[in-house]
Amino acid sequence: MAGPVVAVRAVRAGYGSLVVLDGVDLTVAGSEIVAVTGVNGAGKSTLLSCLAGLHRPAAGTVAVLGAPPRDDAAFWRAVAMVADQPTWYPGLTVREHLELVRLTHQPVRGWCLRADELIDVFGLSARADAVPSDLSSGQRQRLSLAASLARPSELLLLDEPEQSLDPAFRQELAGLLAEYTGHGGTVVMATHDLDFAAAAGARRTLIADGRVATPGLTGPNP
Amino acid sequence: MIAATAAAGPPRVAAIRSFIRGRRRRPWYDWYSAGFAVVLVVILLSDLLAQPLDRLAGPGGSAPAQAVAGAAVVIGAAAGLLLLAQAFGPLALSPADACWLLLTPLGRRDVLRRPAVTAAAIAAVAGAVLGVLALAMAGPFLRPSAGRHRVPWAWLVLATVGGAGFFVAAVLAGMLAQPWPRWRARMRVAGAVIAVAAVAGAVTAERWTGVSRVVTGRFAGLSTGTFGLIGAVAVTAACLGAVLVRRMLPDFPAGVVRTDSARAGRALMAAAFLNVPLLSWMAEDSHWRGRLLASRPWPLLAALGPGRSAACVLAWADWRRLARRPAVLTAVAVAALAPALAGAAFTGDARGWITAAVLLAGAMAAGTQGTAATRRDTNDPTLRRLLGVDPGAALAARAVLPALLAAAWLALALGLLLFTGELGGGLWPLLGLAAGPGVAAAALRVARTAPVNPAERGPDTPLGPTPPWLVSRAGSVLLGLAGAYPALRAARAGHVHGSTVAAQLAVSAVVLGGYLVLAVRAD
Repeated sequence: MAGPVVAVRAVRAGYGSLVVLDGVDLTVAGSEIVAVTGVNGAGKSTLLSCLAGLHRPAAGTVAVLGAPPRDDAAFWRAVAMVADQPTWYPGLTVREHLELVRLTHQPVRGWCLRADELIDVFGLSARADAVPSDLSSGQRQRLSLAASLARPSELLLLDEPEQSLDPAFRQELAGLLAEYTGHGGTVVMATHDLDFAAAAGARRTLIADGRVATPGLTGPNP
Repeated sequence: MIAATAAAGPPRVAAIRSFIRGRRRRPWYDWYSAGFAVVLVVILLSDLLAQPLDRLAGPGGSAPAQAVAGAAVVIGAAAGLLLLAQAFGPLALSPADACWLLLTPLGRRDVLRRPAVTAAAIAAVAGAVLGVLALAMAGPFLRPSAGRHRVPWAWLVLATVGGAGFFVAAVLAGMLAQPWPRWRARMRVAGAVIAVAAVAGAVTAERWTGVSRVVTGRFAGLSTGTFGLIGAVAVTAACLGAVLVRRMLPDFPAGVVRTDSARAGRALMAAAFLNVPLLSWMAEDSHWRGRLLASRPWPLLAALGPGRSAACVLAWADWRRLARRPAVLTAVAVAALAPALAGAAFTGDARGWITAAVLLAGAMAAGTQGTAATRRDTNDPTLRRLLGVDPGAALAARAVLPALLAAAWLALALGLLLFTGELGGGLWPLLGLAAGPGVAAAALRVARTAPVNPAERGPDTPLGPTPPWLVSRAGSVLLGLAGAYPALRAARAGHVHGSTVAAQLAVSAVVLGGYLVLAVRAD
C-alpha cells in the first residue's frame, strides 16, 4: 500500500480513570520494524491493543493498513498478534497447534512458513510432539512466535517477543523478523531489549508520560 | 522457506473444531469426573427440592408467608444466577478457543455460535427448574379447578416453558449488554435490586401476614389462560433476544470476548476446585482494576507498642479495603435476610438444618470479607517479613476483623429470625455475637488455603482417592461447624438459654485460639 501501514494521531487511552496514553502519535511505513520502548506501565501494550482494535481509545485516531482497525475477517487476515499470555489446547501437540494456525487462515496466500520449517527454525524439533504444557517458558514463547509466522500477514504486532528467550535465539528472531519485512511485512513490537531491537534493525520509539518522547532512533544501542 | 500457495476454500469453523476434537487426547477419567459431578449435583438438588416439589400435589398446610418466602427465594436465586452469568460473560469461549480461533479470519458468528447456544441451553435448564420451583412454592394457594388439589400438568409444562423463556431472555439480554460496560453495570445493579427487593419484601410478608395474604390471594386467581399468556410472553422474549444476539454476533468485539473468556476460564477452574481464595482474588482484581484511589496515611498505632503496632498496621489493610467497598458491606448485611427465608421456603419451618446451614455459610462468607490481606500473605509474606512482624501476632491481629464481621452478621441474621417471629427469646443476637470468633477461624483457614495442585493424591476412599483440596475445603467447613456448634444447634432447635451463650463463648475462644496456635506452629 502507498500510505503508512500504521498511523496513530493524538491517541488517548486508559483503563477506567487511569490514563495510560495521552496524545500518542506514531507513523509506521511498510516493511519497517518499529520497537516501542518505555518503562513498565508506559503504555506499550495498550498501544499495541489499540492497533489491534482490542482496546478502543478515548480520543484520537488509529489507522491500520489505511483504515481504523475493523476487527473483522479481512483485518485478522492481514494482522497477526502474539498474545501476551497464550493459552493452549490441552492434548494438542506443538506441531498440531502450528497446523491449526495454518488451517484457520485458509486459503493461504502470501509468505509464511510451514509447520515443519517453523519447528526447525524455532528449535522445537525435539519437542514437536510434546504438549505445550510440558514445554519450558522459553519454548512456549518460541511456539507463540512460530504461530505468528505460520500464516501470512501484512502487519505483525508483538508484545515483548524477547521474553524468556535466550540471547542466542533473540539474535535468530531478529533475523527472522528482518526476513519477514523483506517479504513486505511490517512489525510493531513492544520491547525492553534495545540490543534485540537494534539487531532487528528496528526504529526505536520511546513512550514516556503517555506520549511518544522520541519518535525515531535507529541503529545499535548507544 | 517457501512462499505459500493458495489452498482450498475459506475455512469453516466446524472443520476447525473437528480438527481439534480429532486430535485432543482426553483421558477417560475426565469424562468420568464430569459425569460423576453431574450425578452428584442432580442427587443433591433433587434431595433439596423434594419437599417444595411435593407441594405440587396439593395443599399441605403451608402458610401464606411460606409461599411468599418461597417465591422470593426463587426470584432471588434467579437474580443471583443472572449476576453469576454476567460475571462469566455470559458469552465466553474456552481460553484456548479465545487464543487460537478469535483473532483469525474465521467468521465471528460461527466461532461464537456454540458458546452462545451453550449459554442459552444452560439458561433454559436453570430457568425451567426455577419455573417449576416457583409453581411449587405457590402450589398450595393455586386453585386448579373445583374438587382438584393437584396442579394440572398443563400448568407444570407452562411454568417450565415460562421459566426457561424468561431466563433465556435475561441471559441473552446480558449478552447484548456485554460489549458496553455501562449497560453491564446497569444490568448488575438491576439484578441486585430485584434480589434485594424480593428478599426484603418476603421477610416483611413473613412478619405481617396481611401482606402475604394479598400476594397469595393473587396466586389463587391464576388460570391456565394466564399461565399460557405468561409462557407465550416468555417464549417471545427469548426468541426476540435470540434474533438480536444472532444479528450481533458477527460484530461482537474480540477484545471483550478475550477478556471475558480468560476470566471465565480462570473462574471455572477455581470453582471446579472450590478455590475460594482464587475466586476472591479475581473478584478483587476485577473491582480495583482501572481505579484511582486517594492514598491516605496509615493510622498511628505507636501506643500499642512496637510489635503489636506493626501487626495492627498489617491488619489495617483489610479494614481500609472494606471501608473503600461499602457495597460489599451492604451486600453482606442484606444477605442476613437469607436464613429467615431459606428454611421457610424449603421446609416450611424457619428452624431446621437448612437454616443452620445457611447461617454457617453466611457467617463464613461474611468473615472472609475481612481476610483479603491474609490471603495475599499466604502466597507472599514479604510485607510481613519486611516489617519484622511475628507470624502469630500478625495472624491474631488479622483475626479481629473476620471475627467482628461474622459476629455482626450472625447477630443480624438471628435478630431477623427473631423479628419475623420464627425464633423466640431475646438472647439470639447475643448468641450470634458470641459465635462470630468461632466462625472467624474457618474464614481464616479458607483464606490461608494453599494454591490447589490438582495432581496431588489424597486419602483413599471406596470411590477412589480424595483430592487434598477437597479435604482442605471440607476441613474449613468442619472448623466453622465446630466453632459455631452451640449457636447452630440452638438455631436448629429454636431454643436459646443463657447457658447456650456461655457455652458458645467458650467454644469460640477454644476454636479460634486453638486454630491460631496450630496455624502459627504449622508455619
